[in-house]
Amino acid sequence: MTPSERLSIAGAATAHIVLLAALSLAWQNQKMLAAPTDAVPVEIVDISDAPRTPEPPKPSMEAAPQDTAAAAPEAEAAPEPEPVKADAVPPPEPTKPSPPKPKAATPTKAPPSPLDTSTLASLIDKSLPKATKKPLDTSKLAKELNAAAPARATVDPRAAATLAQAIRAQVAPCWNPPVGGRDVRRMTVIVTVNYSRDGRVIGMPQAGTPTGMTATNADYARAFAETARRAVLRCQPLKLPAELYDLWGSVEINFDPEEMT
Amino acid sequence: MRLILLVTGLAAAPVLAQSAPLRVDINAGLMQPMPIAVPSFAPGNGASTEAGTTTALGERAAQVIAGDLRSSGLFKPIDPAAYTTSVGIDDVLKPDFPAWRTIAAQALVTGTVTANPDGGITLACYAYDVFAGAEIARQGFVTTAAGWRRAAHKCADLVYSRLTGESGYFDSRIVYVSETGARTRRIKRLAIMDQDGAGHRFLTSGQNLVLTPRFAPGQQTITYMSFENNRPRVWLYTLGSGRQEAVGAFTGMTFAPRFSPDGQNLVFSMAVGGNTDIYRFNIATRATSRLTSGPGIDTSPSYSPDGAKIVFESDRGGSQQVYVMNADGTGQQRISFGEGRSASPVWSPRGDYIAFTRIGGGRFGIGVMRPDGSGERLLTNGYQDEGPSWSPNGRVILFARGDRSGQSGLWSVDISGLNERRIATPLDASDPAWSPLLP
Repeated sequence: MTPSERLSIAGAATAHIVLLAALSLAWQNQKMLAAPTDAVPVEIVDISDAPRTPEPPKPSMEAAPQDTAAAAPEAEAAPEPEPVKADAVPPPEPTKPSPPKPKAATPTKAPPSPLDTSTLASLIDKSLPKATKKPLDTSKLAKELNAAAPARATVDPRAAATLAQAIRAQVAPCWNPPVGGRDVRRMTVIVTVNYSRDGRVIGMPQAGTPTGMTATNADYARAFAETARRAVLRCQPLKLPAELYDLWGSVEINFDPEEMT
Repeated sequence: MRLILLVTGLAAAPVLAQSAPLRVDINAGLMQPMPIAVPSFAPGNGASTEAGTTTALGERAAQVIAGDLRSSGLFKPIDPAAYTTSVGIDDVLKPDFPAWRTIAAQALVTGTVTANPDGGITLACYAYDVFAGAEIARQGFVTTAAGWRRAAHKCADLVYSRLTGESGYFDSRIVYVSETGARTRRIKRLAIMDQDGAGHRFLTSGQNLVLTPRFAPGQQTITYMSFENNRPRVWLYTLGSGRQEAVGAFTGMTFAPRFSPDGQNLVFSMAVGGNTDIYRFNIATRATSRLTSGPGIDTSPSYSPDGAKIVFESDRGGSQQVYVMNADGTGQQRISFGEGRSASPVWSPRGDYIAFTRIGGGRFGIGVMRPDGSGERLLTNGYQDEGPSWSPNGRVILFARGDRSGQSGLWSVDISGLNERRIATPLDASDPAWSPLLP
């Protein structure tokens, strides 16, 4: 108990004694307000492709009809909402919840317009923090890289490091890791990405199994891996020197929030 | 939201074999609320319900869901005025992902509200990863027309848990002490409301002073302290019936009650002969055991989620500090050693932290520490921030904030220390307790 609580207990006790002296009986029985109508039960049901049928008034989902009995709703416990695994439910249309593995470098439908999401976000909401990255001068980068890696086959590690730095600078601003989660510090995930020559992601980036994933934090691990995949998908196309495409056509990005507070 | 170190320099230069893919390490990102679109849910049919048309309910459900997600601080619902596409019944399952990408929505929630022949409704809830162009969750909720709000909270919980990997907390309630009147003649009533402030109701009339309400795990029952009949002692309130009963027939004053995680026991303080100790009371058998002894005030007991330990406050060492003991009272040890005094500890439902009130320098703040006392962090610092209570998922802390004028209200803060926000109450408010998720 905090001192203020103690004070209020003492104060209230005194007040009650005074009250008792002043008033007589009758007040002692605490009046009950009408018992609150309690939370109405909600039943969890699986849903199929319901919204297709706009008209019929009867529930087009396979929903058991609701008990309308209003009596003692508190007593009957509605089943706890169990998150439906996305793949347990037939996905509606061609979209698949799990990332398909892009094996071949088949060009996907590119997004309709060149998308700079960071610019868009700041257009929509000025309060969004802007990524503090300078526009990348790819010509300069290419020059540096060429100087560092003149050979055709083998690559100077410094060139690779510079390239990795360029990719990091462009993807990191789009990574929004779920910090505050219980296991965030122990988790890392590698996302394999294939890029086309214009810097666009080909197919769906593939996230590996996060390190630190256990039976009890599988949901968190999935959400964590998806933030990494989302970062790759949001921050594209990459601006990288085309002449070094052989080096960055396929990239493994290791997402590790070790420096986040 | 803070900008967190973006680029981390040339750490660990990647080694590149000719055939191996380039390896890139990203060690930090940008922490910001995720932009999410929650367009009005489409009417599944044209019928009307007691609570309104399906069209109206669809609009209100989307607002409730967006409000829930916004309140978490982890999501930023996009203003519907920015939408470039509408969501009719045919778009619920086939969203126009490119259109949502152009307004930078990273996630999308769609749904329908359908009136059922029995007068109830079915709310269907779908969540999408916009950039992956994929559905990630779906769930239907069948309820009475009046239950549309709960169904919307459950949809918000589905979205929150799918995108964060943590369990949700929006389908929950808050019980607290509503206060009004002059400081010397304060009227205090138990009140209950949904976590977003909707559905506010008073539970007691205010004739007797009440303090420290706490939910039972099944949340049909609330335990609290009342001065009824001028005898300060612990009571139980059954929500379904409104029935109130005093706990036990103790001679001493009993206070600061809390349920055990299995709901079978209460722990509380009892003052006997000038000494205040912690007792455990079995609700079914009425068996009572004393868990602490010795001089000083031992109070504010709170179980660990596994029921094995109890954290409490004691001034046995000269000032209020936080102690932990086994559930049978053995192994008592002090865990708080920070500056000032530490009071009203509460164990997080996920077990990883203990929240407490830090008192010092004329101020009260809310802090957290690990169950072994390490990693102490202050989350708030106010004139009088006190009485922490955890959200059901252990992510958010609710507390009472008082000011110099004597007014007080309910506030919440994320465990990261971010997203401090006020929860509106009709009158002054103190002593909040967050319920578990509704069954």
